[in-house]
Amino acid sequence: MLHNVRDNYIISVKDHVSQFEEKSFRKLASNDFKSWPSPREETWRLSRLGVLSRKEITPITPNFKKQISSVSKFNGSKIIRFVDGAFREDLSSKLPPGSSLNILGEEDSLRCFHKFKDSNLKDHPSTNVSFSCTPSIVKLTIEKDVKIRDLFEIIYEGGDDDSSVHPALYIELKDKSSITIIERFNHLSSLIMPLQLVELKKNASINSLKIFNDNQHSYNLSANCTFLSEKSNYNSFSLIKGGLFTRSETHAYLKGENCNLNLNGVYLSSKNQHHDLTTAIYHDVPNCTSKQIVRGVLGGKSTGVFQGKVRVAPDAQKTDGQQMSKAILLSENAIANAKPELEIYADDVICAHGATVGEIEDDQLFYLKSRGISEKKAKQILITAFLKDIINESVTESMQNFVFEEAELALSEIISKEI
Amino acid sequence: MPLLEIKNAKLKLDDKDILKGLSLSVNSGEVHAIMGPNGSGKSTLSYMLAGRDGYELESGEVFLEGQSLSDMEADKRARSGLFLAFQYPVELPGVGGMSFLREAVNSRRKFLGEEELDHLAFVKEARKVASKMFVKDEMLKRAVNVGFSGGEKKRFEILQMAMLMPKVSILDETDSGLDVDALKIVSDGVNEQRNEENAIVVITHYQRLLDYIVPDFVHILSDGNIIKSGGPELALEVEKNGYVGLINAA
Repeated sequence: MLHNVRDNYIISVKDHVSQFEEKSFRKLASNDFKSWPSPREETWRLSRLGVLSRKEITPITPNFKKQISSVSKFNGSKIIRFVDGAFREDLSSKLPPGSSLNILGEEDSLRCFHKFKDSNLKDHPSTNVSFSCTPSIVKLTIEKDVKIRDLFEIIYEGGDDDSSVHPALYIELKDKSSITIIERFNHLSSLIMPLQLVELKKNASINSLKIFNDNQHSYNLSANCTFLSEKSNYNSFSLIKGGLFTRSETHAYLKGENCNLNLNGVYLSSKNQHHDLTTAIYHDVPNCTSKQIVRGVLGGKSTGVFQGKVRVAPDAQKTDGQQMSKAILLSENAIANAKPELEIYADDVICAHGATVGEIEDDQLFYLKSRGISEKKAKQILITAFLKDIINESVTESMQNFVFEEAELALSEIISKEI
Repeated sequence: MPLLEIKNAKLKLDDKDILKGLSLSVNSGEVHAIMGPNGSGKSTLSYMLAGRDGYELESGEVFLEGQSLSDMEADKRARSGLFLAFQYPVELPGVGGMSFLREAVNSRRKFLGEEELDHLAFVKEARKVASKMFVKDEMLKRAVNVGFSGGEKKRFEILQMAMLMPKVSILDETDSGLDVDALKIVSDGVNEQRNEENAIVVITHYQRLLDYIVPDFVHILSDGNIIKSGGPELALEVEKNGYVGLINAA
């Protein structure tokens, strides 16, 4: 029988699943994967996956002997490595007391799967494909009252042309625990579909930094589902600079009172890159705060997308939800789309959103030039300040320089072409 | 040779004639005041001189030390020794005061063939000048003009002037938004920089500023042209009779 390319991927996902046991969560997931989202679906209208339907891709079978190429960027960090989507214990650090990594068995995996299927990520392509194809779901647990001082550095790499990779990570922070995690995505695959489930129990706190820097031909469709309990704190910053198409989608459910969420991000896009930060924040209970600040700098024929939804349930009084997105276009052919959405069913809330897309402000440029600073240098100064501002606001002090240097590399590439 | 020479400058904005053949000659060691009512073209004149995009002359010419400014961008004009103190200094979020000053000063030094200052030498110099202007160290660490009071913004403008040592300074309504004490500090800062090698053009509505920065010449700007020139006594005449009397007489 002849199949078109799109059907081929669905078949190869099912073939991949058949390697595993019959009664598996994989089977359930693979049955739910019918096609790529259509551009008629509202959340995929601005980020179309049509190209994937025309690509020959198959889920990768991890090579456990593969050499690694990404080195740690921090002295003394605890490294957790995923290669070809599979956890590599042999290449990872021994974790400090109070923290552990486990590969989930069938039952726990199924539970994890249902958390996603009960969320609004249920139809996200990564949900179904990656639960079908992930080598295993890995769980990082931080025990009660444990404050991890070491930086955890999670490095994802591997993959090859025409393959898809499916790392799946479940992070659980028990009561009053805390940690700082940096995740770096450095894949070579055509398609990367990372899944992440985060559960923050009472008074738990996480600082999360994600740097998306996959191969320039890659599609990365990252899906993150986060649950916050009472008085927990999730502070997240994403820097998207690599890949041909990178979409980082985060759904956060604020389930306990007095919790706090920051979902900030920066995208730096050039050539024909497409970068997308999509978020959905569900305020289900009163007295929580959420904040999103997103900034983008675009050159070439690149596209940037910010879609942010804040839903405030009828009972979620005294919610404070803020969204702000700003993009600077350095090229006439670049496009920035911003779609902030507020859905408010409670009446005693403070919610605000704003979005601007534009060029560098004339007033500021003229002010710098009137001080003898060349136009090129003045633009560099202003764009750098535009990013430094949000990085300093979003990232803990010890990480600011690192993030800024990571951003600067991509920025200088955009600036050198456009200014 | 005059330091600044404006010859028959004509300029249109949105098809409307704003400057209508203005001429002015400023020699080294001189302070000129240009006074005029709202809408007379004062701010247009300062933007035109500084080289803001969109404020190019339709005809006429401007010379700085004999060199034509027509094809010179704002940054090169500044490096060549022209300085504009803004009526409304622009906020630059995320741009630190000290690094901004250093970038500006080193651009000018490079142009003059002088060695660029390293960080330490620069900070030392900036602090010295800043303390004279009552600009606190803490202000230099903040982002440029962000959260500054009206007085702080103007003091920071004059601090930049002192650091850049321009040949010709244009002060655009430097007195606006200042109380008496701030006005005195700013004026003292300007006066300290007066010497035989440079020149200052003060653009203002009111005579008040000219009690502190005493000009050698006063010009009345009305409807895009200088209609009367004289000594400091002309400013007192404006104060006494308003612009209307002068404009009607012209």
